[in-house]
Amino acid sequence: MKKTVGWLSALAMVLVLMLAGCSDSGKEGSTAEKGGDGKKAVKEGKDLTIAVADNFTTLDPHDTNDTLSNSAEKTMMEGLLGFDEKMNVVPLLAEEYEASDDATEFTFKLREGVKFHDGTPFNAEAVKVNFDRLADPDSGLKRHSLFALIQSTEVLSDYEVKFTLSEPFGAMINTFAHPAALIHSPKALEEYGKDVGKHPVGTGPFKFVEWKPSEGLKIEKNPDYWKKGYPKVDAITFKPVSENGSRIAMLQTGEADFIYPVPTEQVEGVNGKNGVEVDSEPSIVVRYMAMNTMKEPYNDVKVRQALNYAINKDAFLKVVMNGQGEKLDSVIAPDVQFYSQQELYEFDLEKAKELLKEAGVKEGLKAKLWGGNSSSTVKAMEFLQQQLAAVGITVEVVPMESGTLSDKIWSVQNPEDAELELYYGGWSPSTGDADWGIRPLVGGKEAFPPNSYNVSYYDNEEVNKLISAGLQTADENARADAYEKAQKLIWDDAPWVFLSADNTLAGKKNYLKGVYLLPDGSLSVSEAEIE
Amino acid sequence: MLRFLGKRLLQVIPILILVSIFIFLFVHMIPGDPARLVAGEDATIEDVELVRKELGLDKPITEQYVTYMKNLFRGDFGTSLKTNRSVSYEIGERFMPTFWLTVWSMLWAVAAGLLIGVISATKRNKWQDYLGMFGAVSGLSLPSFWLGLMLIQLFAVTLGWLPSGGMDSWKSYILPAFTLGTGVAAVVARFTRSSLMDVLKEDYIRTGRSKGLNERRITWGHGLRNAMIPVVTMTGLQFGFLLGGSVVIESVFSWPGLGKLLIDSVAYRDYPVIQGEMLIFALEFILINLVVDLLYGILNPQIRYE
Repeated sequence: MKKTVGWLSALAMVLVLMLAGCSDSGKEGSTAEKGGDGKKAVKEGKDLTIAVADNFTTLDPHDTNDTLSNSAEKTMMEGLLGFDEKMNVVPLLAEEYEASDDATEFTFKLREGVKFHDGTPFNAEAVKVNFDRLADPDSGLKRHSLFALIQSTEVLSDYEVKFTLSEPFGAMINTFAHPAALIHSPKALEEYGKDVGKHPVGTGPFKFVEWKPSEGLKIEKNPDYWKKGYPKVDAITFKPVSENGSRIAMLQTGEADFIYPVPTEQVEGVNGKNGVEVDSEPSIVVRYMAMNTMKEPYNDVKVRQALNYAINKDAFLKVVMNGQGEKLDSVIAPDVQFYSQQELYEFDLEKAKELLKEAGVKEGLKAKLWGGNSSSTVKAMEFLQQQLAAVGITVEVVPMESGTLSDKIWSVQNPEDAELELYYGGWSPSTGDADWGIRPLVGGKEAFPPNSYNVSYYDNEEVNKLISAGLQTADENARADAYEKAQKLIWDDAPWVFLSADNTLAGKKNYLKGVYLLPDGSLSVSEAEIE
Repeated sequence: MLRFLGKRLLQVIPILILVSIFIFLFVHMIPGDPARLVAGEDATIEDVELVRKELGLDKPITEQYVTYMKNLFRGDFGTSLKTNRSVSYEIGERFMPTFWLTVWSMLWAVAAGLLIGVISATKRNKWQDYLGMFGAVSGLSLPSFWLGLMLIQLFAVTLGWLPSGGMDSWKSYILPAFTLGTGVAAVVARFTRSSLMDVLKEDYIRTGRSKGLNERRITWGHGLRNAMIPVVTMTGLQFGFLLGGSVVIESVFSWPGLGKLLIDSVAYRDYPVIQGEMLIFALEFILINLVVDLLYGILNPQIRYE
């Protein structure tokens, strides 16, 4: 009997200690916070671990539609062009490029002396094999549509290649810089076929080692990388860690050197402690509330403008985004090409009420606001509900699970039948070009669901003309001009309540340099360096 | 006995066929278009249709069902719509991690639960009982999400003794197994206590005492053995549930398990993976029930199998 009692008290002790430990750790944490520090964390070795929020779906860029998998692919493969940290197009495997004035012919001069990881030389033939694959409608690739316009790819010489499009597409240069246009080794494509997504072979700074979908991806330094002196780390392991708190714990313990995303509400708590730094940078993700412009009363521009005046965007940023973002001042974010700043709808309840009155909207207008069911989305929708109550609009928040929501939006065949009134959503134009930030969202009938994402059912002849004008030429000035005018018109027509442009948030140990998120939310590690 | 086993194993087949039909119908009835979800948010309608064709979702549902069943009989669960890998691979990847985590959680949970239950029952209304039941109620009411994060904070971040997540070494098992087992230990403790208390009131226990058997033998030998039947039933059920994977534990400890796979598959309407997982779960429950039935006979030889 004595024994069991002894065991029991031991158990009790453990329990008590555990609870005490928990509260203790809380206290310790807070003293450490006060201690602040700015201490330099120390790293041994040159192997990095990066914790990400989800599993990669595939490592075949041509068949990828999530930014996370793109990030992994970009460590091993490169495209003709790429983006720098401000989303500007920069040459990678191409040294120079040229577009015909009518935006139908694009010629690239390729970098010489580059080899794929399997030893295959990189040349015009390799480029052709890749783009023929992308342009083939029978390939069943998820990114085929971005390259469907390519009519032919011609090898002009070993290091010169020419693309001919079936119709003008002014945004093509950005499409070439898109991660979907990363280049596989032609040998790997031939050898693995559809399975190339499990055996990525590119020209990038890192080589594929191993990928276990549930445990993570390992890559190692490519010693023959064409850019001399890079990469500066030996290996990187990506681990999927879906729980925010756990990801942060990994960074604090040093099990991870870099994590993303960091949830906005945790930034304050971790920044500057335990050698952890949080990088908060502008992204091209826009947040908006779309209004169905075919439905009463939102068919009246005054009502739509009134709603824009009725929402306090500063409060939105503070409450919903924890200050991690900027007020949205066009239909696209500042880092998107051809962005043009518009004059904000400043928060003004009186003006909002007046406009509503002019439009003949009576007190007690009821509206349904649709959106996803993640906690941050619901929080945003509840905020909008509260704000609109002040101008006498009773909003019912309807959060929906993603599959149900997409069914509700895209099963509509006839725009008049759309049930949608208000919709809270976000968009990130992955090509970084104004076209992809505008056309799918407000590009007239062509973009109405189920074709695309124009949930406002916004259709303005003039805007449509400007959008296609922007695609008819490769002349930067002409394009900029078209998009500038389009943005102004869209802004004044206000098919959305323009809310915010997000920041990207990543956490890292302060010895780490050169790892950062691009405005499109993808990761760059090619310049990673440990100090 | 062998006949019983054979009969029960044969019954598995019609049950699984029924289950597969129901699952197929159910997953196709949930709203949401997998082609749209797999193609992604910024996909054009051409992309979506391309994906639909690629995945074979453009065929009539009856044809899809026939293909599915045909493949199933050949042991082929199909291919994941989302990742393009075979369903057997996706499930196989995560089955063993889930299995071992379940085993370790159950082992400590049952041992601790039994011990606490027995002590509480024999020391009824004494401090040991109160402490034991206090522990059990706490174990039941602590949300595993919170407990997991607290344990990470203490043992990984503050003390640095254990990894915060992943599945790298035996150390990785400690925190998730502890968190996952807490609730089970609590349930086992409470079941054992109430069941044992009932048994200890029985006549044969009094007879045993009057024969002069010592108290320890009465409790652990005669009492507990007879009190085990409801506990075994409940433990079997818990085992089955845990084998289904736990989304919470898997998310908090980045454990590559079946629970998260199921949730992700539902979010993407990844029909083949959902179907495959549900079939595995059904099979697990059937087998566990069988084992539980066999255990009854060992615990109480009066039970006969026919």
